[in-house]
Amino acid sequence: MLLMTASQIRGLPVVTVQGGEDVAEVRDVIYSPEAGRLVGVTLNKRGFLAGRSRDVLPAEAIHAIGQDAVMVLDESSLVTPEDAPEDVGHPATERNVLEDDILTEGGASLGKVADLVLLVGSSGEVVGYQIEKPGGERGYIPLPAQLSVSGVALVVPNMTEEFVQDDLVGLGGAVDEFRTRLGLT
Amino acid sequence: MSESFRSSAGRKVVSRSSARELGSVSHLLVDARQRRIAAVVIGRGKKAQLVDWTQLSGFGPDAVMVGDESALRPPSDDRERAAAAGKLELVGKRALSEQGNELGELDDVTFDAGTGVLEELLIGTRRVHAGSVLGSGSYAVVLGESQDHSP
Repeated sequence: MLLMTASQIRGLPVVTVQGGEDVAEVRDVIYSPEAGRLVGVTLNKRGFLAGRSRDVLPAEAIHAIGQDAVMVLDESSLVTPEDAPEDVGHPATERNVLEDDILTEGGASLGKVADLVLLVGSSGEVVGYQIEKPGGERGYIPLPAQLSVSGVALVVPNMTEEFVQDDLVGLGGAVDEFRTRLGLT
Repeated sequence: MSESFRSSAGRKVVSRSSARELGSVSHLLVDARQRRIAAVVIGRGKKAQLVDWTQLSGFGPDAVMVGDESALRPPSDDRERAAAAGKLELVGKRALSEQGNELGELDDVTFDAGTGVLEELLIGTRRVHAGSVLGSGSYAVVLGESQDHSP
């Protein structure tokens, strides 16, 4: 299971499988906390024209996300916001979970959301968050497949506290066990 | 007979009708879909010319033979202009799996000198069958899933 944070995905080149060309690069990921997955990415241009691109890349058009590139079949995968699904073309700003407080159902704060952790390959499922603990140090928590978010806080099951990990490798092992215990798999 | 991209660079290109040397091989332009050589690029930059593989009378160990000078032509589209500028040269190109993981740098490519069909790609110590090539461009050569050795 290959896990990457959203900040590792930002800046990756978008490369066509059929053309071997770098047609864009990832500016940011667009995430749906309700769906628990990446719905698309926003783009920057490459090369001489470097800078913000209007085009977006819906998750459905992503062939694969790897450590070194986001792969698409060809340039037609990049679409204008008007041609993209609503949640990709015009993502709601309250969807941004960064800096949100993470509260357990029992009312304990685990810290704030620092980054998203995605299961890459061809799925783009968001399986955890990198968190900034109340003491300031970093950690990782696994997530259930779906989540309640308000824009300022989000609520996770009580037992999430037992699954706080120090690194991405630890999180890889924790996700499956966490979801098994929640009865999700 | 098997040939390689690296060893054919610099080989002289000779006219069969006049026996004159017309230039030397800069590199080879491939058709990734067909997994074969599309053309021989002669010279570099603005003066670069191409000879279609089908126009060769022989790709020999000491010289590449063409019928006569009329077989040489300037680049005719964007892809050929990119090739003339050296942007599509395979040797030294980044190899990328279709899963988005880098596999290394392409050290050499072997091909059948009779047909121009690509045989193997050499990436470091690994030999990869040319059948796994999915696409080739200025950024990377993209290889099929079976070649992905990511952790």
